[in-house]
Amino acid sequence: MENEEWVLQELERLYHSSQDYNQVTLIKATQELIKEQMKRIYQMEGEIDGTLWSPKRWSE
Amino acid sequence: MKTLLIVSHPDILESGSQQYFLSSLKENVAVTLHHLESIYPNGKIDVAKEQALLKQHDRIIFQFPFYWYSSPPLLKHWQDVVLTDGFAYGNRGNALAGKEFGLILMIGIPEREYQAGGSELFSINELTKPFQAMSHKTGMKYLKPLTIYQFAYLEEEQKMDLLIQYWQKLTMEDEVSLKARETWLAAELEQAMEKAAGTQEAEIFQYAKSLIEENRMTIDGLKIVLDQMHQN
Repeated sequence: MENEEWVLQELERLYHSSQDYNQVTLIKATQELIKEQMKRIYQMEGEIDGTLWSPKRWSE
Repeated sequence: MKTLLIVSHPDILESGSQQYFLSSLKENVAVTLHHLESIYPNGKIDVAKEQALLKQHDRIIFQFPFYWYSSPPLLKHWQDVVLTDGFAYGNRGNALAGKEFGLILMIGIPEREYQAGGSELFSINELTKPFQAMSHKTGMKYLKPLTIYQFAYLEEEQKMDLLIQYWQKLTMEDEVSLKARETWLAAELEQAMEKAAGTQEAEIFQYAKSLIEENRMTIDGLKIVLDQMHQN
């Protein structure tokens, strides 16, 4: 997660300093896509945890 | 993929929304911008030239302000004279078959009015049936339209979100999954890196692109684990 936070911070810095509108727009889309990926990973990890702890598996 | 963006607007310089989107395309080599009223101010269309242009592109987009539930008159005239029997339909008329076709509409009324009970009564899907039929008759795949409502009232960040959707409508494969958007964005970051070569910006874009690719590997790996767990 540290790497992700660092990249997001750097993108945020560039978002505020860039003078190129297309570049700023691309940065915003990049930040949002990375956050969406992180959410997807978090959800999938949660699904794995949930499945491992399912009562269906307690008898195994 | 090459996209032909056919724009019809009788007074384009005065249109803030048209200028906003079109000015973002200046350096985009994948898109051919074709504003009909500028090219044919007297309304006399060069049919052979237009048909040749269509053949050179894979995705055809019409962009226009939605006037009285249709396009400005020059775009209708363009359809009448360019999409002819023998070229676009009829015997041996298969020049457009297999291409993609889409609409980008600028609309001055709120989205909520385009439904039963709203002031416009009908949905955009209902009101754009003639374009859907044209796409069908010419063998093109009809893409989901990009509808832009009351552009002037949008906040800057909302405009940026729309601009991304606009670029995607022009250049992204017809698929909106997370994976498809990652692939599209990685290619955009690659271009931004080339443009900013040697600067710190380019380095940050490289880190971002690598992170997106690493995250994709993680997602695919988790998917395999989940699939295996569900099989057991």
